[in-house]
Amino acid sequence: MSGADARGSGDGGAVASRRSAVARLRLTRVALAVAATVAALLWALAAALATVLVLVVIDRALGLSQPLRGAAIPFAAVVGAALCLLVAWRNRGVMRLLDVALWIEHRAGSMSYALVTLADPGAGERAELEVAVAGSRWTRPLAIASARAVAVPLAASLALVMLLRALPAPTVLRLAVPRPGDVLAGPAAGRRDRLAPLVATVSPPPYTRLPSVTLEDPATIPGVEGSAVVVEGRGDPAGLRARVGDSALAITRDGDRWRSALLLPPQAAALRFTDGGESRVIVLAPFADSVPVVTITSPARDSVLRSPPRGALRLEANLHDDFGLTSSRFEVIVTSGELETFTSRTAVVGAAALSGVRDTTRDAVLPLDSLGLQPGDVLSVRAVAADGRVPVPDRGASETRTWRIARVGEYDSLAIEGAPPPGGDSSLVSERMLIMTTEALQRRRPHLARAQVVGESRDISRDQARLRRRVADIVFMRLSAQPTGEESEGEQGAAPQTPAQVLAAAEAATARATGGVATDFSEDESPVVAVNRPLLEAYDAMWDATRELDIGEPGTALPFMRAALAAIQRAREAERVYLRGAPPRVVVDLPRVRLAGDRAGAAPSGRVPRTAEPRLPPMLAGRFARDLAMLLAGAPGAAADSLQLLRVDALDGSSEFAAALDTLVRRLRAGGDATAALIAARRAADAGTDRAAPGLARWAGVAP
Amino acid sequence: MSTFVFATAQYESGDWDSAPLLPANIIDTIARYTTIDVAPAGVVVPLGSADLLRYPFVYLTGHLPVRFTDQERAMVRRFNDRGGMLFVDDHNHDVDGQFHKTATEEIARAVAPLAPLPNTDPLYSAFFHFDDGPPDTSQELNGWGDNLVHRQLLAVVRDGRIVVLYSNKDYSSEWNYSPRNKRLFAVDNTRFAVNIIVYALTR
Repeated sequence: MSGADARGSGDGGAVASRRSAVARLRLTRVALAVAATVAALLWALAAALATVLVLVVIDRALGLSQPLRGAAIPFAAVVGAALCLLVAWRNRGVMRLLDVALWIEHRAGSMSYALVTLADPGAGERAELEVAVAGSRWTRPLAIASARAVAVPLAASLALVMLLRALPAPTVLRLAVPRPGDVLAGPAAGRRDRLAPLVATVSPPPYTRLPSVTLEDPATIPGVEGSAVVVEGRGDPAGLRARVGDSALAITRDGDRWRSALLLPPQAAALRFTDGGESRVIVLAPFADSVPVVTITSPARDSVLRSPPRGALRLEANLHDDFGLTSSRFEVIVTSGELETFTSRTAVVGAAALSGVRDTTRDAVLPLDSLGLQPGDVLSVRAVAADGRVPVPDRGASETRTWRIARVGEYDSLAIEGAPPPGGDSSLVSERMLIMTTEALQRRRPHLARAQVVGESRDISRDQARLRRRVADIVFMRLSAQPTGEESEGEQGAAPQTPAQVLAAAEAATARATGGVATDFSEDESPVVAVNRPLLEAYDAMWDATRELDIGEPGTALPFMRAALAAIQRAREAERVYLRGAPPRVVVDLPRVRLAGDRAGAAPSGRVPRTAEPRLPPMLAGRFARDLAMLLAGAPGAAADSLQLLRVDALDGSSEFAAALDTLVRRLRAGGDATAALIAARRAADAGTDRAAPGLARWAGVAP
Repeated sequence: MSTFVFATAQYESGDWDSAPLLPANIIDTIARYTTIDVAPAGVVVPLGSADLLRYPFVYLTGHLPVRFTDQERAMVRRFNDRGGMLFVDDHNHDVDGQFHKTATEEIARAVAPLAPLPNTDPLYSAFFHFDDGPPDTSQELNGWGDNLVHRQLLAVVRDGRIVVLYSNKDYSSEWNYSPRNKRLFAVDNTRFAVNIIVYALTR
C-alpha cells in the first residue's frame, strides 16, 4: 500500500469515525426529544388533573352552576395545554445538535469538547477528534436524565388520579359529565333549604315521542298537556306541602331527597311548595296537542253535476299534525229531498291507518255511479284525520266540498254554455287602443309643431266620438231594442245630446220597459240606471275626452279616457255576477203594528231606574277594612300598595269609591295628612244602594 | 241606541235560506210587543264576513249538512267572543238528521259543545213567561221529523249568558209565514221569539 493510499485509507476511516460520532449524536438528540415530549405531555396531564381537582373542591364548597361545570373540563384542558407548551419551550434545546453535544460533553467529560467540535458543520475532517469521541459512552447519563424528566410528572399525574378516585363518584361526575338535574348532588352547605335547588323532570306522553327534559331550578315548567312531571328536592319530606290550585300533591321520600309527581294540567296553573314559612311558586305552562290540520285539495271547489252523474270523483287531502297522525278517511254524505222532507246517507271511503307520520297526502276515488245519485241530491265530501292523543284522539276535518246534482228544470234557467263577450268588451279594447295612441302623441308632443298636434289629436277625437256612439247604442239597445239617434246623422249633423239628456232618456226608457213600475231594486235608482250606470259613466267621460282632444290637448284628455276605460271594466264585471239564493225582501209596516200585540203573559217590569251607585260588594268592603287596619298598624307604604290594588277592582262598578281611593293613595304616598281623604273613602264605601238581583239589565227599548 | 236589525246567516254549505218569511214575521212580532227600535226589513249576512260583527243577534237554519269553512268558523268564534248571540234552529226537527249532527259538531268546533238549557233559565222569562220551557211547535205535535217533542233547548252558556242557542223544535217552520197571517192565530205562536231577541239585546 502506498503512502498516498494509506493516507487515503486513513482519511477514509476518520471520515467514517466522524460520521459515526455525529450519527450517535443525532440518535441522542432524538432520544432526548422523545423524553422531553413525553415529559411535556405528562406535565399537561398533571396540570389538567390538578385543575379538575381544584374545581371539584370549589364545586363541593360553593356549588357551581351547570354552565360553569360544563366549562370545567375544557378549562382544565387549556391549562394542561398551556403547561405543555411551556415545558416544550423550556426544552427546546434538544432540537439543536450543538446544544445536545454540549449537554453530552457536560455529562461525559472525557471528550474535551471533541464532540462539540465535530458537531460544528465547519469543523472539517478531524480524525483525532473521532478517536477521542469513539472512546466515550453517554448512554447512562442519557437514561438517567430521560427517566428523571418523565418520572416527576408521571408521579404527579398518578397521585392526582388517585386523589380524584378517592372522592365520591357523583361529586366528580357532576363536574366531569355535568347533566341537568345533578344540582341535587351539589354541596351540602345549603341542604337546610329544602326548596332550593329543585329539579323538575318533564316526560311527555309516549305518543308524542318527545324526549324527557330535566330542568334545574325552573321558574316555569313547560310541556305538552298530560306530561308526567316529577319535582325533586333535597332533604326530608316531613312538613313539606305541595299544591296545584286547590289540590294537594303527595310528597314522597327517595333516599336523601323528596319528590312530588303530577300531570301537567290542561290550563296554566301555579305549583306552590310550602316549607314552614317559606314557599316557592312554579308556573305550570302546558301547551295543547294541536288538532290535525286537514286541507282538501281535490275536489278544489263546489260544483253542480249534470244528471245522471257518471265516472269517479278523485279525492285528495293534505294532512298535518304536530306529533303524528294515526288515521284518516274521507266522509261522504248524500242528502236527498226537498221542501220539508230530506233523507241522507253517509259513507266512508279511503280509510287508512297512519303510523304516526306528521305530514302526508291521502287520496281516494269515489265512484259516482255507485252512489245512485238522483237529480236534486247534494253530495258533501270532507277529509278527516285523527292523531294519537290520549285518552281521546283529536280529530281534524277539512272544509266540505258540496256537489249538487242538477234538476232537469235547471237547464231551462241556467245558461252554462260559453257565450261571446258582451258588447262592452269590444268597446273596452277600442278605448284601450285610443289611450295608447293618445299617450304616444303626448310623448311626441314636444317635438311636433302645434298644428300637427292638433291635427292628430282631432283624429283621435273622431275615433273617440265613434266609440262613444257605440256605447250609447249598447245602452239604448237594451232599453228599447233600437239604437239611439245620437249623432246618427254624422259628425257634423244635429247637435249631440248631453249626458244628462241620455241619462234622462234612459230613465224614461226604464219606465217604458217596466210598465211604469220599478220595484225590483231597493235603492232610489231604477233598474236601467243601475244596470247601465257604468256605461253611462263611460259615456260621460268620453264626452269630456272628446272635448279636450278637439282643442288639441291629449294630456288633459287622458284622465277622462282612463276613467271611461275603468267604467267599461266595471260594466263587464257587473254583468258577470250570478246572484244566487236571494230571498224575498219583505218590509214590515212597523208603525201599523207597533205595540198592537196582546202582551198578556209578559213578565212585569219591576225595574226602576237606578238612582245611585250600587253598594260596595262585601268582598271589597272586607279588603278595605283590612287595608285600614294595616294603615293604623303604621305601615302606610304597604297600605298604599294594597289600596291601589283595591282600587283596580273598585273601578269595575264602584267608580266613586275608586276615585276616593285614588285621592287617599296619593295623600299617603305624599306623606301628608290623609285624614280628610280617608273619611271621604269611608263615606264612599258606605254610600250607594244594594246591587240589583241578577236578571235583566236595564234596557230602555223594552216596555212590557 | 242603534236600530236592531234581524240578521240571517248565509253559510257556504246547506240551504241557509230555507225560511225566507221568518225574518219579517219576527220583526213584526218585535214591533207588536216591544218598543225596540227595529229595522223594518232583515238582512242576510255571510257567516264568514266581518259584517257579522255588526249584528248582536244572528239566526241560522237549514235542512242540509252544515260544514263551516275555516273563515266561517273563525268568524263565529269571534262573533261569540264579542258578545253576539247565535240562534240555530234545525229546520229538519230531526235529531237523527244531518243538519243536527253536523251543526252541533260545527258549533262544538267553533265555540263549545252544546248542553241542555234548563227550563228555568232567564230566557224563558225575559219578556213573556214560559214556565214549561220552550213552546212546542205544530211540527213536533204532528209527528214530523224525529217524532219527538223536545222539552229543552240546547245552548252554549258563557259567563252566565247564552252565546249559542240551539233548537230542534223547528221554529223555522213554525214561524215561516207572512206576518199578515198572524191575525188568524188565537195566540201568537211567535211570542217566544220576543224572549230570544230581548234576551240577546239585554243580557
